[in-house]
Amino acid sequence: MPTRDLTLAMVGSGGDGVVTMGEMMAQAGARDGLNVIKVEAYGPQIRGGESSCVLRMSAEPISAQGDAVDVLVVFNWADFTRFKGEVVPKADAVILYEASDPTPLAEVKIPTATNATWIPVPFVDIATKATGTKAAKNIVTLGILAELFAIPQESVRKAVEFKFGKKKAAVLEANLKGFAAGREFAGTLSVDTSARKLEYVIRDPKLVMTGNEACAVAALHAGCRFFAGYPITPSSEVLHFLSEWLPRAGGRIIQTEDELSALGAIIGGSFAGVKSMTSTSGPGLSLMAEMLGLAAMAEVPTVIVDVQRGGPSTGLPTKSEQSDLYLAVFGSHGDMPRIVLAPTDVEDCFHATVDAFNIAEETQLPVIVLSDQAIGQSRQTVEKANLVHEVVDRRTPNAEELADYKRYAQTPTGVSPMSVPGTKGGMYQTNGLEHDETARPASSHVMHEKMSRKRFKKLDFVEEKYPLFVHLGPEKADIGIVCWGSSKGPVEEALKELAAKGVSVSAFVPRIIMPFPKKALLEYMASVKTLVFLEVNFVGQLYHYLRTLVDLPADTRVFARSGGMNLSVTEVKNRIESVLSETTVREEVRA
Amino acid sequence: MSSVVETPALPRFQPGDYKSDLKPVWCAGCGDFGVVSAMYRAMAELQLEPWNTVVVSGIGCSSRLPGYVEAYGFNSVHGRALPIATGIKVAKPELNVVAVGGDGDGLAIGGNHFLHASRRNLDICYVLMDNEIYGLTKGQAAPTTPSGDKTKSTYFGNPEPSVDPCELAISFGATWVARGFSGDMKSLVDLMVAGMSHHGFAFLNVMSPCVTWRGDDQFKVMKAKLRSLPEGYDRTNRAAAVPYLREKEVLTTGVLYEAHEPSLLDRLEGQRTNAMVGHENLTTEQVLEVFKPPF
Ligand SMILES: Cc1ncc(C[n+]2csc(CCOP(=O)(O)OP(=O)(O)O)c2C)c(N)n1
Ligand code: SF4
Repeated sequence: MPTRDLTLAMVGSGGDGVVTMGEMMAQAGARDGLNVIKVEAYGPQIRGGESSCVLRMSAEPISAQGDAVDVLVVFNWADFTRFKGEVVPKADAVILYEASDPTPLAEVKIPTATNATWIPVPFVDIATKATGTKAAKNIVTLGILAELFAIPQESVRKAVEFKFGKKKAAVLEANLKGFAAGREFAGTLSVDTSARKLEYVIRDPKLVMTGNEACAVAALHAGCRFFAGYPITPSSEVLHFLSEWLPRAGGRIIQTEDELSALGAIIGGSFAGVKSMTSTSGPGLSLMAEMLGLAAMAEVPTVIVDVQRGGPSTGLPTKSEQSDLYLAVFGSHGDMPRIVLAPTDVEDCFHATVDAFNIAEETQLPVIVLSDQAIGQSRQTVEKANLVHEVVDRRTPNAEELADYKRYAQTPTGVSPMSVPGTKGGMYQTNGLEHDETARPASSHVMHEKMSRKRFKKLDFVEEKYPLFVHLGPEKADIGIVCWGSSKGPVEEALKELAAKGVSVSAFVPRIIMPFPKKALLEYMASVKTLVFLEVNFVGQLYHYLRTLVDLPADTRVFARSGGMNLSVTEVKNRIESVLSETTVREEVRA
Repeated sequence: MSSVVETPALPRFQPGDYKSDLKPVWCAGCGDFGVVSAMYRAMAELQLEPWNTVVVSGIGCSSRLPGYVEAYGFNSVHGRALPIATGIKVAKPELNVVAVGGDGDGLAIGGNHFLHASRRNLDICYVLMDNEIYGLTKGQAAPTTPSGDKTKSTYFGNPEPSVDPCELAISFGATWVARGFSGDMKSLVDLMVAGMSHHGFAFLNVMSPCVTWRGDDQFKVMKAKLRSLPEGYDRTNRAAAVPYLREKEVLTTGVLYEAHEPSLLDRLEGQRTNAMVGHENLTTEQVLEVFKPPF
């Protein structure tokens, strides 16, 4: 029986073209309307070195990378060992490896692959014979994979044509030969891969993008016309994309000298009346702590995308972790209101970023979009039709309000109309100092209390209007998972598998962390028996933060561990199964 | 129908129109009074529309200045006037942007921003009120405090050499660099007018005495040291400025350096104009096309 869901992994060195091959297959899948998730990993070398690409293609909706792969392609066993534990073949995986690899097969140990089909392939040989250069071995591999696993044949070929179409005719011809040679070679193999042949109906093409790109497009969509940023992995793609597209959209972008300056500049841009954004990762957000306070005090709408990586300090620059929650929620001195959103996948990066602009404009607060590397840099297919989102603009003063303009006028919502430079009669001199309604510096404790109340009142509005969360699984369940960010994907996948086994489990995934959708959480808590937190940070930052907001049951289980490795479906299942067995034991004891 | 006849002779804005009704917190005799007065006059001379003008500062005594100017203003946080000013000017180039602050604000905590705003040749005027001390925090050493001086934080004398802000500005790439004195109103107004009219990053270092922490004499001492640049001084020659940097015995005021180069905004505008060709009224739909498989 063919499959509707296939995960492939390819491992090689810099020159092997693993990443290109993965990208071509992803594009081919998207062209046929398949759902695709692609994740790349690199060794520590800045350039060259080993790389891996894991690609899941499915005719069904998918929400996470499959943690065990159906098909593994290894150009070089030495490179593969560097990804041990990260690329895990299924027990019955099909493993294609370079026949001329010097490492004897006996030395290759893949404990999970107990029942695998091992196929030696002379990738280099086939490529050299068919095209005259071993450089085409990734194209040969595409041919082999397309043939063996019914990966969108026609589209893969089109991808090859597109890739080399702009080069000399001979180059295209050679690569097409390589592709054909791969298919031909696959035909000579006497292995049965029918269970792994992808079966699907061709649908309309989908878009393929990363979470970072989704944030960048969302900014353009929301009307952002000024961006200032400082490069940092794993967020730089936001800067890169906007450096091309913001000027086209009539906006302006600058690379600042540091993150203090980046946030300072966008505070300036937004003060001047232009929607503005910056993006960074943990080390940059640390530097921005000072300016966050200024944005909150002067009430300037600002949007900050933080693509989390492993910390503290320089930490694990290329790998994901969910450990900036404390900083985002509590960072900066004084009583400082701010909004923190947490997108859960690539598509949600778009929505969270537009929401961030909307909320920033509606409340004149800094809004942090707490993304993470696992969604920021993973490439996923997205339905274009889903990328629509209403845009809200700033509340500027009307003629009546300008007649006696007070920048920080007390209002029922705490939000005061904000005039922009260029407006006659709307002049004010704003401040990082505490100030009165007219923006004049004021240091009386009475004014300080009054203005603090005004600034914090704005959070009530957000909590009311934006109780953003996702409830996964059944309405009532024995076990209720609480997780956030990129963990939603693996949890959603695990839930499907657990439900199939009859396990009663659901999940609550907040998409806004500050102000937290407390009402929704309390309702959710009432719908489950045992709460289980799954977090990719060492201390359980979400759990401890929520303990300051609601009374969590004493028997709440917290599984928090450092990042560097994304939450996997298997891990989620194991955690839930361990909780189930403990719960049974406990009930037995009680009986 | 009656018609109002305007008197064409009077300019629209008088210096007093730029004075806000907030009373300065400065000590009596503080040099910064002279700076803000010069600013009112310079703004009037240039007929800057208050609502199209933004004065930005960091934190310090001197950074209180935006509050005293009837225009848009932003008294931000210590050392960060230039990042904020950068954002305002780049996002809305049609605004007149003036950044102000103290020597600690601009050279110590904000030193990195000074370097980069100069290097970018950002189209703003930056007025640094140099009192050779930290005024607001009550008398600690600043980067401009002369070596050996006793201050609150250098009990045994300042062990560090000081810097000349103009020397920094010239080497960082500012395209207009001048030194003024807050006690010499006429020249200061002229310098401000020239700095605010300059196309590119204009840096004006104003010696502005702190009577409270540098003593009553700072004013007199500075006045006595005052010199003007010689007749025929070639301000377009970077090297010509060298003898007037790191001065100790004298205090030379005037425009030390001036160059005409494209500002950051010119460059950005050029790129933007080209980039927009073929993308007029760009929609999200159109941007999303990039993510469609291209074959
Ligand atoms: C981050 C930070 N550090 C320290 C301070 C305290 N502080 C305020 S103003 C100032 C220095 C003031 O000196 P200067 O910038 O020369 O301005 P002046 O008061 O002399 O005009 C300092 C250290 C602060 N406000 N913020
Ligand atoms: S302390 Fe010095 S700088 Fe500050 S207001 Fe008084 S005289 Fe001016």
